[in-house]
Amino acid sequence: MILRLQTNAGTLTNFEVLDFLRSRGASTDSTRVIANVAPSEFQVYDYLVQSAARNQTRESIDEFLTSWVKFDPAKAEKLNLINIKPSPAIEIDSIVENCEQRMGNEDEALVKMIIEMLPAPGKPEGTNEDPTEVVADQEAMEAVLPPSTKPRGTNEEETVETVGDQDSVQTLSFSTVTIYLYVV
Amino acid sequence: MFFLSLIEHTLRLPPHLLNLPLDQAIKGELETLFLDKVIANLGLCVSVYDIRNIDGGFIFPGDGASTFTVNFRLIMFRPFVGEVLSGEVEESDAKGLRLSLGFFKDITLPAHLLPNPSKFGEDGKWTWDFNGTELPIEKEDEIRFKVHSIRYPPIPVEQEKDAKPFAPMVITASIDFDGLGPISWWV
Repeated sequence: MILRLQTNAGTLTNFEVLDFLRSRGASTDSTRVIANVAPSEFQVYDYLVQSAARNQTRESIDEFLTSWVKFDPAKAEKLNLINIKPSPAIEIDSIVENCEQRMGNEDEALVKMIIEMLPAPGKPEGTNEDPTEVVADQEAMEAVLPPSTKPRGTNEEETVETVGDQDSVQTLSFSTVTIYLYVV
Repeated sequence: MFFLSLIEHTLRLPPHLLNLPLDQAIKGELETLFLDKVIANLGLCVSVYDIRNIDGGFIFPGDGASTFTVNFRLIMFRPFVGEVLSGEVEESDAKGLRLSLGFFKDITLPAHLLPNPSKFGEDGKWTWDFNGTELPIEKEDEIRFKVHSIRYPPIPVEQEKDAKPFAPMVITASIDFDGLGPISWWV
């Protein structure tokens, strides 16, 4: 019986989902068969890796958001901008409503700002074209990402009752019983 | 595109998993149960994010398995109406296009949500006639589209033999705005 306690317990940007999958061990190189990640999760990872989230870091997103605050964007608009990183001004129009009213002449300055703050996706990387390049990028990115992968704005209260101790005791006694049988 | 959903579920843990540490066993069971499945009105489950609380461990009479009440969060894929996503063209026919995001392939782009003077050519491609310039939608293009609506059709009781496989979550997309459509149109 499934009970939905909270249908929306927090929105995640593409970058956060990518980060989460990376912390589980997903990657584009050949160690992916060993990782603790299901094939369906890998499909999501492959999609995110060739999207704009590829080169983002937590710091760059924070910077971007603080600089956009003065235009008072709605949550949905912020999410769209971070996920898609539109380049020409016309694409911003489809994401931010009443673009001209709110931004007017500052359009160009804004576009430049966006391009600077959110690192460009660049050419989509093929999975096995340049294995050394991909691995090097991965290492560089991991160096930039903060070591702890705790997401923003979530309660970190995990209470897990461990019944595990009892289980291990039981298995021990089981194995000793079998030894006695062999001896007899 | 993604958001977290807090769910409580009474989970029966089969006895053959008793040798695993509890949280690992429960996570494995939850993944088997929810991963890559669509929950109506919540979306497609992508991943188990974390487990917040495990209660119980009762064994019901006549059953060899223990039952736990687990509180956990799932990462769900459910775009909101008006969100701009980018995907690829999977199929193109007279009624419209079908787009795909790699992990989710049931995005329909009906003909009436293409920019207005569009026509369907004999080679199977849709073309937008923009003030005299012809802009086609090729198969390899990356398309930016806006989510128009999301439907969760009910599971059919019977299906005809050659019917398309049932899609539990269908997203209707639109590219009838500035900046949408293949990226090559606007660069």
